[in-house]
Amino acid sequence: MRRAVAAALAASAERREAAALLSVLKATGAFDAQQGRRLVLWLDERPTVGDLDLGALQRRALDDARAALQARRHTQLVYRVGNDEIVLFVEVQPQPYHLIIAGAGHVAAPLAAMAAICDFKVTVLDDRPQYANKERFPTADHIIVGPFREELRKLRGGRPVFDPHTCLALVTRGHQYDVDLLLEVLDDPVAYIGMIGSRRRIRAVFDLLERERNIPRHKFDRVHAPIGLDIGAQTPSEIAVAILAEIIAVLHGRSTKLK
Amino acid sequence: MAASFYSQLQKLLDEGLTVAVATIVQVKGSTPREVGAKMIIHPYGKHVGTVGGGCGEADVIRTGLDVLADGQPRTVRIDLTEPISMQSMGVCGGVLDVFIERWAPDDEQTQGGQ
Repeated sequence: MRRAVAAALAASAERREAAALLSVLKATGAFDAQQGRRLVLWLDERPTVGDLDLGALQRRALDDARAALQARRHTQLVYRVGNDEIVLFVEVQPQPYHLIIAGAGHVAAPLAAMAAICDFKVTVLDDRPQYANKERFPTADHIIVGPFREELRKLRGGRPVFDPHTCLALVTRGHQYDVDLLLEVLDDPVAYIGMIGSRRRIRAVFDLLERERNIPRHKFDRVHAPIGLDIGAQTPSEIAVAILAEIIAVLHGRSTKLK
Repeated sequence: MAASFYSQLQKLLDEGLTVAVATIVQVKGSTPREVGAKMIIHPYGKHVGTVGGGCGEADVIRTGLDVLADGQPRTVRIDLTEPISMQSMGVCGGVLDVFIERWAPDDEQTQGGQ
């Protein structure tokens, strides 16, 4: 049973799908037999794996655990029936975030490497095969060579929009590509959009888009531009650190202003 | 992405090893790691992962060896709230509860769930 539980969680991590493990932290009275038991569940209603059996409470516990998984938050669940108590720990193994790096240049290489270390699924996209290749991006999950906007559209995988597990770093060699990609995803509910460029350049671009394409200014509010935390980064690797730090801050709901 | 925690655990169980798994289940105040951080306590010291390092983790490893020996799950409270001084063990300022359970390849229990 232990092996089946570990195998189910390992397989889900491999498939990058959300799963949760329920463990028994404390059990008294009628729940005593549940000590040491556990159960793996998923967001959908497929059969669970494990030996935790809460009887009449099972349905409620599974629903509560799914809610915790949906919220990506490890949670303790406490249930009391008469004088008997059971405390469960919901360990969530959420779907990993997917970082799409548009542009395979000098910043992209260290960014892709560090994002992989931080457990992101990483896709690199560029129209130049001499940059977007396995030699430069040995740890990337996917490397795509092709026209930027067209390939980004394909990455949605048939869905109308990118999901909230997606992060986008627009770091192409030319500002026109970054802007073109930004327009493609401006209404998608992604977790993070960052775009490279100087403050002056970015202000000019947003002004232009507002004026000539009638895009309301507030739509740019969630775009992190210039991309990355202001840590005085100079080299491409330092800039990659600043970008990844900003993404992590946004994903954890922290301010992207430095203390 | 790096090999997942559970693929590493699965590998150890497949090798026939019994290990203890420690998980941070609750924190108060400032702690070195977050709820959900996990560590495998390996019978021969080849531990995997970290619940924050330092003396607190040493306590967890010691308790993990007890859990390995008798199979009884335990919750360890690590208190890092001592005043800051050269002698103090932990100065993060928080308290964390670490749940430790034994995982053996042959722990067969009743098939339940649904």
